[in-house]
Amino acid sequence: MTPRSFRGRARQAWTIAKIELRRAFFARRSLWVYALALLPSVIFFGHGLDAKFRSNRLARGGVITPALMDSVRQGEPADDVKKRLGKPAEERVGMRIRRVRQRTGTAGTTTHVIEPTVDARFVRLNVTRASYSGEPVARIYEFEVYGPDGRVNLALHRPATGSAPCSPDQGPEKAVNGSVKGGQGDRWCAQDRPLFLQVDLGAVRPVTRFVVKHASAGGEKEESDTRDFNIQLSNEGKTFTTVASSSGAGFVEERLEHRQIVYFDGRREARLLFTDGKLERTDANRLLDFEEDRMIFAGIFQYFYLRLAIFFGCLGIFMNLFRAEMSNRTLHFWLLAPARREVLLAGKYAAGLIASAVIFGGGALLTFAAMVWPHDAVEVQSYWNAGGMGHVFWYAAAAALGCVGYGSVFLGVGLYVRNPIIPAAVLLAWEGASGILPHVLQKMSILYYLQSLCPVPAPMDDDAPTLIRLLAAPAAPASRPGAILGLLLLTAFVLWIAGLAVRRMQISYGTET
Amino acid sequence: MNERSEFATRAERGVGVPASERVGGSVGAKTPGSQMTGPAVVFEEVSKFYGEVLGVNRVTLNIPPGITSLVGPNGSGKTTLMNMMTGLIFPDHGRILVRGISPRDPETLMRVTGYATQYDTAPRWATGFTFITTGLLLFGFGRSEAEERAWKALERLGLTDAANRKVAAYSKGMRQRVRLAQAIAHDPDLLVLDEPLNGLDPLVRAETIDLFRAWAAKGKHVIISSHVLQEVDLISDQVVLIANGMIVAEGKIRDVRDEIQEHPSQYIVRCRDRDASGVAAQLFREEHITEIKLHDDQLGMLVMTRDREQFARALGRIALDGHRIESVVPADENVDALYEYLIGGKS
Repeated sequence: MTPRSFRGRARQAWTIAKIELRRAFFARRSLWVYALALLPSVIFFGHGLDAKFRSNRLARGGVITPALMDSVRQGEPADDVKKRLGKPAEERVGMRIRRVRQRTGTAGTTTHVIEPTVDARFVRLNVTRASYSGEPVARIYEFEVYGPDGRVNLALHRPATGSAPCSPDQGPEKAVNGSVKGGQGDRWCAQDRPLFLQVDLGAVRPVTRFVVKHASAGGEKEESDTRDFNIQLSNEGKTFTTVASSSGAGFVEERLEHRQIVYFDGRREARLLFTDGKLERTDANRLLDFEEDRMIFAGIFQYFYLRLAIFFGCLGIFMNLFRAEMSNRTLHFWLLAPARREVLLAGKYAAGLIASAVIFGGGALLTFAAMVWPHDAVEVQSYWNAGGMGHVFWYAAAAALGCVGYGSVFLGVGLYVRNPIIPAAVLLAWEGASGILPHVLQKMSILYYLQSLCPVPAPMDDDAPTLIRLLAAPAAPASRPGAILGLLLLTAFVLWIAGLAVRRMQISYGTET
Repeated sequence: MNERSEFATRAERGVGVPASERVGGSVGAKTPGSQMTGPAVVFEEVSKFYGEVLGVNRVTLNIPPGITSLVGPNGSGKTTLMNMMTGLIFPDHGRILVRGISPRDPETLMRVTGYATQYDTAPRWATGFTFITTGLLLFGFGRSEAEERAWKALERLGLTDAANRKVAAYSKGMRQRVRLAQAIAHDPDLLVLDEPLNGLDPLVRAETIDLFRAWAAKGKHVIISSHVLQEVDLISDQVVLIANGMIVAEGKIRDVRDEIQEHPSQYIVRCRDRDASGVAAQLFREEHITEIKLHDDQLGMLVMTRDREQFARALGRIALDGHRIESVVPADENVDALYEYLIGGKS
């Protein structure tokens, strides 16, 4: 029963670890660790599920041979393609409608003729939609009214009224001054609703034709031309009768057919894009690309798992081992146990290590499984034959060793520091910057060793900035045995420092004497 | 302060006397010089600061086996002493040896020590039974033996009915008892119990005291703390009085009780009709009155007497003489007053 031997102490540490496991796994304040560990597997699972559903749906529409799929040529008419390849898995037709300026007549000028002639003294131009661009500003450069003889502009220099002008020099009189060339100062401009321009012809006269010169007639953008308006007449200026209206005058719609036809050859999904019935582009993508998914996994493992999930997960699990017991006022139970403080440290570290290694090693394996799951069995088999199992092993080992390293660091930090935020930020910066540090200092970072253990280097776009490239990859990766040894030595050193702190640790629950 | 035989106040202790000669002499169980090796609990010039705040100051103690009570008001340093004894905190100065073992060696010390703290906490998952069993597993007991011992300890404290309920759901008294049960479960030689009688009903209290006595009878240490002297004076073999982090007095309880008997009692007497001086004049004729302080308002006075019963009789006589006494309130029915007296009576 005396645990003074090494074996006895080891057994005692194991007893402590077993008791602590419950807390390491299920501490309420670190349940978010599971979310971190499982998030990538959920994403991969979702990706796989989506690809499977899509491939099932496409397969129901018909599967063609890959050779047939590759036979389509640029410019081929849609009907020919369909005749040759058969019924597509999916077909979608869209019409793109574009409004283009009608190229007949004078730009920015509309003419409205009424038959038969109507007698009127007051002529009113009501603007309901002021522009094509959506800008609610009416701009009329000239409003002309003609009688049956058609030569004399009855509105010219007649008294004009209208909605309040945008500025004093752009009043209604500018629309009956017989000129459009004077720039913006030569127009009637208004934006107070209702937008209207009214001309008093002086006496009741027969009128039959109206000419409206819009924004572009004065040199402005076509988009500013009046879109919807109508013309009303009245004898006494009170009751008006609408005699003409115009909507979107001066523009026509240009229709362009876009057709997307999707063929499926069992793996690839080819999207054929036709414009006006002619094949314009072909996008062929594999629904599930094992090669690509493995690269994505490598990226997620290095950038998300090692750098963030395990880092913060270990922070949550290991910093709580002592800190939480201090704040829960339960630490004294451990200190009153007949065990050396170092044994207590070892036991708690073991508990945290088991919990974090299971959570993150398991998370990594689950993510890998979710990544592999939807892929073709033959492809997967050939991957296994080509050393896939080794990859799996090293991913799990890197995750577990990450817990070994970061766990020791945060256990130690938790013993020295109360607030985890600042040391966590410093450590994150240190670990992140390890790639640009001198080689000797690199060896003081956990990440350096973990990256050396990863079976596949993290993918990196060629156009990534140099700084990012430096930060992301170790300059000179260590060999695997070297990496493991280095990591364990670093861990032992950190644990030794933690041991110094735990020997000096005293209960301080706050107010007491 | 006449004839204090085995009883020493700090004021009387020579400052220059070596620690080894000062410790032990008063408590008397050990001859000077042997206390470092014997089964005593020894404090040598121990000080502990909490930052700037003084915890305990130059405490020198030699506690022989038996029931020892640390008595002092809240905040006087009792828990600090106990925590230092068990290695939960370490002294800034001085040396502690617990039955020959340094508190910095928990592996050895905690095997023979059981400490029931005042911290009223238990892990959320723990039932009374699993709580104690888990603790025993750390001693290296096998599971069956640990469970057997845990059950025995719970039986001893009458907690078997509640054994399988969560500790978090226990009443205060039950939590107190479960901590006691945990402290005794591994049959330690030294029991350190911080306010063990707090929250216990009278029946359980009597049983618990029996437990202390049984422990002490086996030549083991039982060190308990209390802020109520009356609570422990009957059961203790020796008491240590603490105030403001200093040992005020230590000795066998008989001597301390004698001291208490001699300790003048203080009463606040309030009279009607500004008759205080008249009453005071009457009281001064009494032999047992040592001091009277008149209050400025001519209504009240502070009376110090060596004999409470005679004082009561004297008051009766004075009242019969026609003096109008409104109220008589004892001014020192608390331990603090006793400490003040023992420290040297500044008032």
